[in-house]
This record gives sequence, structure tokens and C-alpha cells, in this order.
Amino acid sequence: MSKALLALWCFALAPAGAQWLDYPTKGIPRLPNGKANLNAPVPKQADGHPDLSGLWLGDQWGPAGKRPNPPNTPRATPPEMFPWAQKVFDERRANGIKDDPEARCMPQGVPKATTLPYPVEILHVPGKTVMLYEMYSLRREIFTDGRELPKEFINPSWMGYSVGKWEGDEFVVTTAGINDQVWNIDLAGHPHSDALKVTERFRRVDFGHMDIQVTIDDPKTYTKPWVMPVMRYTMLPDTDLLEFVCEKNIDPQHMVGNK
Amino acid sequence: MRFSLAVTVLIFAARAFAHHSFTAEFDAKKPVELKGTLLELEWVNPHAWIHMEVKDGSGKVTKWDCELGSPNLLMRSGWRRDSLKKGDLIIVNGSAAKDGSNLANAKTVRLADGTRVFNAGSSGDTGAPGAPVQQ
Repeated sequence: MSKALLALWCFALAPAGAQWLDYPTKGIPRLPNGKANLNAPVPKQADGHPDLSGLWLGDQWGPAGKRPNPPNTPRATPPEMFPWAQKVFDERRANGIKDDPEARCMPQGVPKATTLPYPVEILHVPGKTVMLYEMYSLRREIFTDGRELPKEFINPSWMGYSVGKWEGDEFVVTTAGINDQVWNIDLAGHPHSDALKVTERFRRVDFGHMDIQVTIDDPKTYTKPWVMPVMRYTMLPDTDLLEFVCEKNIDPQHMVGNK
Repeated sequence: MRFSLAVTVLIFAARAFAHHSFTAEFDAKKPVELKGTLLELEWVNPHAWIHMEVKDGSGKVTKWDCELGSPNLLMRSGWRRDSLKKGDLIIVNGSAAKDGSNLANAKTVRLADGTRVFNAGSSGDTGAPGAPVQQ
């Protein structure tokens, strides 16, 4: 059986009870076999900027074996931390990151929320770009109406405060005001302080691929800004976000750490 | 339906293990193989659970709880909330909990005839940007 036929057959078998897990996305470029053409050109918004809309999933979570970065990405270099931060980081590594708030169903914060094995949907509306996170059903509003980040944050939040602007074809998002209950900025357990400023540079490579480069600027935690390796995301066509409410979490009572 | 499952499982191989660190709860050096009867496939976030009864050689019955991925990851792997039914004979391979309770992280779930119904995935491969792998 040809791959195309197989795909069609699987599609036809998709049960009706799966909500919109398998619903064709309208208006996207397609190949003759009906599949989305992930290598088509970058779509544009009405104002001429690239359109980042769609569901995206980090390549490390996609089809088995995909590397998380675009080709030719330099190897990661660990960030240089101040002694307090190194101590915290080492403790977390030693105990298996057992106290991660994420394991208590708390929001992951920025940029960690964008590195998880669930899709993130990007929507552009006038004055803001919205990111909807499937995991824990979180969302971010990235204001593009010209406002600047506040100098002080009277109410730091889990997902912080974000503003975005276009630099050429890159959407540059700056985020600060992330609260101290967000415990780690990544899955490895790196800490942060109230001085954390996150810069994310979004670049849609073609229709089906997008790169995000993250810079961590936290002068109380890291000796200098830490540029993380570029992460590659692939678009998920013909599906939609699912609800994820953390309704019954029994893991913490069994999380003993590295015993 | 069964064939569709087998295909889609490969597409979204659920090696994903966010939510919590594997090593904080389970011991990869304590593999378990549990053969028994399904009591319930509990379809809840952040993890679905297989509750099952396992009978040992002497006939003693023990209840085990086996952690799966989230319902969303399972659905994207082809599972549905009724993919297993109460009374199904199943074989779960996975890793036991460190705290000694009858709790395991399921890596694979097979039906009694050997059909693999799920690649439950577990730890590792959580490489965050610029970070060492969480393991």
C-alpha cells in the first residue's frame, strides 16, 4: 500500500469521538497527495510581516530521532552561574529535580513552557500576538501595540509580561516580571532571579518550520547573558489544541528524589 | 482500528516525559513485568493510569497502578479512552517506583496475545535548550 493511501486510510479511520484531533486545516498549502506542504514559502500577514500562526511542536518531541536544533547549530555551552545559583542548580540535579513546581501542576513560566512535549498555538490579532499552550492550558499575550515593559513589576506573574516587535523577518519578544514561584527556566533546572529578562527571537523558516532563539539575561544569576542554542519547531497541520487540566496529580507523594 | 493504532504510535512515539522528573519517582534499574487483569484505564491529567490486578504463582492477588502519559499524548499516539476495557488481560513493562509502593511507570502495554498497544515512553530526551538531558 502506498504511503498516501495508508495516510488516507488512517485518516478515514479516525474516530468521531476524538474532537478535532484530526480535522483538516483550511487554507494551507498542500501537496498533490493531500498532505500539508511543510516546505512551502513563509506565509505573510496583511502588513507584510511573516505570519507565525499555527500549531507548533519542538522537534525534540516530534517523530522519533529528530534533533531539537536546526542543522549546524553549535553545541550547547553551559551558562556560567554565580555561586548561589550553581549551588541551587547542583542540588536540583542531585535530587532528580523532584521539587519542580511543574510536577505540582504549576505553570512552567518562560521560556520553559515553550520547550515541552505539547503543541503551542500562535495567533496574531491587532495589537497582540497570543501563544496558547496546550500543556496546563496556559496562555501568553505578547503586546505589539508599541507599549514598553514596565520598569517595576508590582505583580510578577507565572508567565511574565511580554512585548514584541519585528526586526526584519524576526519577531523579537521580550519578557520580564516572572514570579519567584517559577523555579526553573528550563527542564534542566536552571534557576532565575527577579532580574530575569528573556528575549525570544522567532523566525519562520518556511511554511512548516520555525526557529526560536532564546537569550537569558539575568545579571543576578548568570555572569553574562546566556544565548541558548536555536530550537527548531515543526508545524502540526490538521489538528487542534486539546484541553489539559491537571485534575488528579498523585505523583508528588511518591517523588522521593535520587534515593 | 487496531492497525491504525500501530501506525500512529510510531508517528508520535511518546518518549515525552514532562510534568515531572522520571528519576525522582521511578527507578530505571527496577524493571517490572506485570501480567494481569485491567481494573480501569483512568483517563485523567496529568497522567492516565492503568489500575490492574496481578496474580502471583501462589494465587495471591496484588493491585498495581501503572502511570502512562497524559490523555493528550495518548490520544495523539492513537489511544482512546476506551482502548482498553475492564477485564482485558494485559502485560505492562515498565519501571517500579522508588518508594516501594505497587506503582510503576509503564513503558509498553501489550494485550495477552502480544499485540503492542502502546509505547508509554518514560524519562530522558527532555533536553531543554542549552541544558543537559534530564535523567
